[in-house]
Amino acid sequence: MAAASPEEVTGLLLAWSEGDQTAFDKLVPLVYQELHRIAHSYISRGHRGYTLQTTALVHESYLRLIDAKSVRWENRAHFLAVAAKSMRHILVDLARARHNLKRGGRAQRVSLDEALVATPQRSADLLALDEALGRLATLNPRQSQVVELRYFGGLTEEEVAEVLKVSPRTVRSDWSLARVWLYRELSKE
Amino acid sequence: MTPERWDQVGKLYRTAREVRPDQRAAFLKKACGDDTPLRREVESLLEAEAKAGDFLAAGAISDAAKALADEKPRSLVGRQLGHYQVRSLLGVGGMGEVYLAQDTQLNRGVAIKLIPAHLMADAESVRRFRQEALAASALNHPNIITLHEIGEQEGRALIVTEFVDGVTLRRRMRGARLSLAGAVDIALQIASALNAAHDAGIIHRDIKPENVMIRPDGLVKVLDFGIAKYADRTGWRTSREAMVQTTPGAVIGTLDYMSPEQARGLPVDARTDIWSLGVILYEMVTRRLPFTGTTGSDRIAAILGREPELLGKRRDKVPQELEKIVRRALAKNRDERYARASILADDLRKLRGALTEEPAQRFALPMAARNFSSSSLRRAVTIFVVALITIAALLVYFRHRATVSETASRSGTSLASIDSLAVLPFANESGNSELDYLSDGMTESLISSLSQLPHLSVKARSSVFRYRGKENEAQQVATALSVQAILSGRVVQQGTNLAVYLSLVDGRNGNQLWGEQYNRKLADLLALQNEITRDVSRKLRARLSGIDEQRLAKHYTESVEAYQAYLKGRYHVLKNTRTEVQNGVSYFRQATDSDPSYALAYAGLAEAYRLLVLSGEMRPTDFLPLAKAAAQKAVEIDDRLAEAHAALGFIIFWYDWDWNAAENQFRRSLELDPDSEDAHHDYAQLLSYSGRHAEALDEIRRARELAPLNVRNGAIEGAVLINAGRDDEALVRLRETQKLDPNYWFARFYTGSAYIEKGMYAEAVTELRKARESSDVSSRPTSLLGFALAKLGRVAEAQTELKGLLKLSQRRYVSPYSIAEVYNALGERAETFAWLERGYQQREPRMVFLKIDRKWNNLHGDSRFQDLLQRIGF
Repeated sequence: MAAASPEEVTGLLLAWSEGDQTAFDKLVPLVYQELHRIAHSYISRGHRGYTLQTTALVHESYLRLIDAKSVRWENRAHFLAVAAKSMRHILVDLARARHNLKRGGRAQRVSLDEALVATPQRSADLLALDEALGRLATLNPRQSQVVELRYFGGLTEEEVAEVLKVSPRTVRSDWSLARVWLYRELSKE
Repeated sequence: MTPERWDQVGKLYRTAREVRPDQRAAFLKKACGDDTPLRREVESLLEAEAKAGDFLAAGAISDAAKALADEKPRSLVGRQLGHYQVRSLLGVGGMGEVYLAQDTQLNRGVAIKLIPAHLMADAESVRRFRQEALAASALNHPNIITLHEIGEQEGRALIVTEFVDGVTLRRRMRGARLSLAGAVDIALQIASALNAAHDAGIIHRDIKPENVMIRPDGLVKVLDFGIAKYADRTGWRTSREAMVQTTPGAVIGTLDYMSPEQARGLPVDARTDIWSLGVILYEMVTRRLPFTGTTGSDRIAAILGREPELLGKRRDKVPQELEKIVRRALAKNRDERYARASILADDLRKLRGALTEEPAQRFALPMAARNFSSSSLRRAVTIFVVALITIAALLVYFRHRATVSETASRSGTSLASIDSLAVLPFANESGNSELDYLSDGMTESLISSLSQLPHLSVKARSSVFRYRGKENEAQQVATALSVQAILSGRVVQQGTNLAVYLSLVDGRNGNQLWGEQYNRKLADLLALQNEITRDVSRKLRARLSGIDEQRLAKHYTESVEAYQAYLKGRYHVLKNTRTEVQNGVSYFRQATDSDPSYALAYAGLAEAYRLLVLSGEMRPTDFLPLAKAAAQKAVEIDDRLAEAHAALGFIIFWYDWDWNAAENQFRRSLELDPDSEDAHHDYAQLLSYSGRHAEALDEIRRARELAPLNVRNGAIEGAVLINAGRDDEALVRLRETQKLDPNYWFARFYTGSAYIEKGMYAEAVTELRKARESSDVSSRPTSLLGFALAKLGRVAEAQTELKGLLKLSQRRYVSPYSIAEVYNALGERAETFAWLERGYQQREPRMVFLKIDRKWNNLHGDSRFQDLLQRIGF
């Protein structure tokens, strides 16, 4: 399969944001393909490089997937919001599918003292995160949205501010509180 | 919670963050009043913030990709692939995962390498890869790894090779410095492998220390023939180069061994491998790369344009012939390079013959290679020549056969990454801090026995004990210590019962790899300790060789009582205050009383005595003879105990002033345990004070590499740099060390010392005052302070410091060396010599500084000083 072109992805996102459901179905495999490409690059780079690589990679992957510049400026904010939402949708679906697969498969845990491993994982468990984000939306919808835009949408602080029509400072403040709250929620399990 | 309440929490949280951490509790108490749930909520958020680290920082797509990537390496362990039972993951590297498996038909261990699916993109690459691997397989050369089979598993290529039970050259180079003969011998074996491959038309293209394995008997095996080319073809190399450019320094670069033509992207021939071998030889001899730079493009520029420094500038006694060989192997223009590996091998062989007299050889070569006499070398060469002729014949046969059968073949694989582990200090959950010795001791014993395993790098005690008693997050610790896995545990002792809970966690993703609970009687402590070591090592390596099992199960004592006393001794000694060390001494004595053949306890005793003298400022003649006797006893009981040789070397150096004998002990210790941080650290000081600065720096940096968080290593590196006259570099290193622990007096002390050498006496005074505040016993900061004050012309103040020292010396031992320092700065030469003489008479250990320490430069012309130097053995 040929690599997804930014124009293609952007076009599909726009179509979807205008209500075309088939566009979303076409989008999913493109995102998966990109995801696998990044995963492979992780493997081939040896796992230790993670933290160093991530920022660059995230950036790279969004540059590849989305061509926000080609979206007309009146539509830009709306488009970015849609892109973030769709990304959340796709990634969480994938996490759910893999989760079910695992549970259906042979039990993987060996006998162990759970208390010893109660430290939460740094990289987010997307499924749990999605649920927690839902709960956060009932407490403060904007904070939940900031996370969606930044974490799932890969938007910068300024872009988030643009989408939500608030100051970057508010975005920063929402983000830091929401992040800590989410971290605690995920650590509880 | 309601949105309004959450709003309230959020506001308070933001305000509390503005408050200084130590005042937050008070602030919250006041702000929340009776509303305890509100306070708890905010507190728990603040707590979470401290732990959250880079949570969510990477972005969802990256986290999802990471999760996907993490699933793959675990997939094969425990599975049966044809007649191979997969036992464990040996490593994950650029070219895929490598597993250790058991061949159930032939009952032997094999290594299985899985090529990542994305490298198997099209049928054409797969076909060509097989062809290549098969061709290399036909070589059947002793220095080329044997390939058993090429197969397929769920669409991924499988390469099955012999399992080489040894270490990579990378790891070997991290240990004690290779002797020249040792380095040449390894290069010679690689050249032989290359020659055979080149004759068959196969270029390796990726010769690097990670692709060279060394067996315990000294035999070298080159891995991964034929794979690099395949990787090039599939574009893998391109992505790797891209990585080098985006994250400078983060990659152990294949770039470093790349030839100029490779770096330029030109077509390559056999001579590219000769270049790479030249780089390896350079690195083995000097412990440095010939072409360096902070970024990938800097390094490429160096490869293309810069001439490397002469070997002789980086190591003493390098024969001219070796310089010539390296220069010719590293000729930028490949027409000026060795045209064939066989010519290089001839030159190396000649040189190897001339080098056998080198005294260091005994300590630096692996066991069998050590006994590799010239007659057996000749025999090997003969066999090799015969083998070459046979290979030529076989090649024709195998090439033909290769097209028919895919399985009878040989080529290479790589134990792509060496496993590394940190054992975190076990938590004592007995509710009684007096039992800390038990949890600490078990941790330490486990570290030391696991360190004996080949293929496994275990972080030194001093690196991990800073995590003691803290809540640690495995991934974070793993990143900080750059290890792949973290072992943590809890120890509970109730009456005569002992429970130990262990957990082995994958440092890359925080997943638990293994967990186990042990319930035993306290009387079974020794057996338990062995059982744990065995279980852990089995988790890490599917199969241990007989020798490994012996190493692990090595009992230093059969007596539980002695063992417990030993653990208590260690526990107290490591606190390193005078009283605690004295406590330690009595426990070690208990241990040797219960078991008079307990070598490790004698070594511990030696260490304790020496600490009493060096940190506790007790009279050397009272304790160092005891230390020496204990160390000798330890060596007598167990000549293979690295700790004992290091302890003995130390005392012979500081007390007997017998430099050569001390050096032999250090080398012996490092031969037995190349990863001994203490031995590298101690050896560095000997080298530094005998003026061998480059080597000293190598050794201390190796110690720091092994234990980057041990501030002692940073301070001594500073001292080594000062001794080498590199004061500015010393200041940089010492500042870094102070960042790790601002209260560490020793680093401040050397900072002051560096300022003195630079003539910045006022700065020295400030540092030394601070050093004195945080050192409880030592009089060393005081004497240097006096020195600096005298140099500033503040004579009265200098004299006050001197008087203080003299007064103290009436109550307890104060190093005469220190007192002489101040007298010298005050220009009182008669007193200076009187005190130095006293230092000599009292066998003051620091008399070994005399020759190198620049503070005595004004005395060099004095015959009394020269006489003193001579008596000390310079």
